[in-house]
Amino acid sequence: MKLVWKLLRQHISIPQFVGFFFANLVGVVIILLGVQFYKDYQAIDQEDSFMKADYLIVNKKIGALSGLTGAQQTFTAEDVEDLKAAGFAERVGAFTSSSFNVRARFDVEGFVSFSTDMFFESVPDEFVDVKSEAWEYSAGEDEIPIILPKNYLDLYNFGYAQGKGLPKLSEGILGAMNLKVIIGGNGQNDEFEGRIVGFSSRLNTILVPEAFMRWANERYASQAAVKEPTRLIMEVENPTDERITSYLQDHDYETDEEKLDASKTTFMLRVIVSIVMVVGVVISILSFYILMLSVFLLVQKNSSKLENLLLIGYSPTKVSFPYQALAVGLNVLVLLLAVVIMLMVRRVYLDMFENFFPDFEAPNILLTLCVGVGLLILVSVFNVLAVYSKVMSIWNRKE
Amino acid sequence: MKKIQLSHTLPCVFQGRTDIVSDIWNREVTFEREKLYLVEANSGTGKSSLCSYIYGYRHDYQGQILFDGEDVSQYSVAQWTDIRQHHFALLWQELRMFPELTAWENVEIKNKLTGQQTKEQIQTWFEMLGITDKLNAKLGRMSFGQQQRVALIRALCQPFDFLFVDEPISHLDDTNAVIMGQIMTAEAKKQGASIIATSIGKHIELAYDQVFNL
Repeated sequence: MKLVWKLLRQHISIPQFVGFFFANLVGVVIILLGVQFYKDYQAIDQEDSFMKADYLIVNKKIGALSGLTGAQQTFTAEDVEDLKAAGFAERVGAFTSSSFNVRARFDVEGFVSFSTDMFFESVPDEFVDVKSEAWEYSAGEDEIPIILPKNYLDLYNFGYAQGKGLPKLSEGILGAMNLKVIIGGNGQNDEFEGRIVGFSSRLNTILVPEAFMRWANERYASQAAVKEPTRLIMEVENPTDERITSYLQDHDYETDEEKLDASKTTFMLRVIVSIVMVVGVVISILSFYILMLSVFLLVQKNSSKLENLLLIGYSPTKVSFPYQALAVGLNVLVLLLAVVIMLMVRRVYLDMFENFFPDFEAPNILLTLCVGVGLLILVSVFNVLAVYSKVMSIWNRKE
Repeated sequence: MKKIQLSHTLPCVFQGRTDIVSDIWNREVTFEREKLYLVEANSGTGKSSLCSYIYGYRHDYQGQILFDGEDVSQYSVAQWTDIRQHHFALLWQELRMFPELTAWENVEIKNKLTGQQTKEQIQTWFEMLGITDKLNAKLGRMSFGQQQRVALIRALCQPFDFLFVDEPISHLDDTNAVIMGQIMTAEAKKQGASIIATSIGKHIELAYDQVFNL
């Protein structure tokens, strides 16, 4: 094969292959970075995964006069139907609030003990993004899973603890600690264990499973106290949809603006990453085209050598091999270098991520590697087949 | 392989012509092993076509070509490759050598594929044909006659049942033509093979069993 290669490497144009190499490198780096960046960004997002980015929480505006005029703060069934019919919401769910007394006691042994009146709310389970085992409740159970707003933790850490010189608490420590919940009403009084399954910065309420809420409302609330929802949660496909803003304005509803902005940011990021990746794919396709053209040109220039090799008994497979190996080798080299560059760039932005989000844990690069290897295999198979068919056309040339 | 049969074989370009007088075209012809054949031809009578049909790189003929009774028109790529590696050796009129490689490499590229001849045997042939000094010379710098001798050595670097030599001595002096004939017949005898030589004038002197006029 050494002699065959010596023959067939004649007419190899280094500039062409260098051109292909860098074009393809740029394309592959863009694709890999796009995949990896999106995955890393999602990991940041994960902190708030109890509520996905495209969930919006809607309530009616509370005006200065609304209390006096007696205007409804709650959503009627018609309001909900109307919202569903507006077209931008894929799903709409209602918040159910507790119609009983909740008192919580929070003991941090040796440090501090809180006790506070509070309330619970629930939304349909499909809006809560927690693994199902952690978010289950069956009637009568002592343990209630709870999701708290992240603000509460910040309030303690940066306000209370700071002022009193107490240690700061991480989400993990809090999750492991006990929260005593005393529920009363309807002539009954019971104590429960609250288990904090997570903190959400998107959600401004204390959330319990709907199953618990249904059970507790039935048990502790007087029938008259069961109310219509004051807040709705909806899943939207595109948070930047103009119709959302105008609908909310028209109906005097409001939503967390910041959250809407965050949703818009996430949405835009997704669009931008997609666009960038499409550009990467286009560059890769073009570079693939350059490679194919170069190889075809090479085959063309060396066609008489290839033909003679075939005639003295070399099989088309053997004759194709050097060019196939050349193409596949270049692809492998490009992939390896692209992965290295991707990792280097990633190091830079991961440092930034880690500064902003101390809890951030970088996800692995497995998916990206799979994408890279998948691309490599796909492109290489095309290369191998194309070279072989070109050689076969030389074999058949006299027909 | 024991025999090659041509059954009413005729190049497509000759189709419809009635003036063809030939011992081969449009007849029943059989080439057998361990024989020496000479095909004499005038220019334009399809001598190279005959080689290319039998060697499987052109198929523009009508009639049949059979190897051991099997029609070759349906042969696969793998079968033709096997034929070229193990059964037919061909010394082309246009040589089909690689001018970028040295004389030695031109032979090696074939011998590496088949592993048929020893290094010593090849060197002996170079010596016999008087081109030992050209062993490491680029083939492109050699004269056609010298290239012709290298091409013969390359053709012998494989097992074969039939050796086709298409005008092998067109550029050789008589002395070298005789030596070439000796080498060819010796190797053919060793392998129990046939030689089918063509010529359009000066032909290589062998003890032919049969002479055809194409």
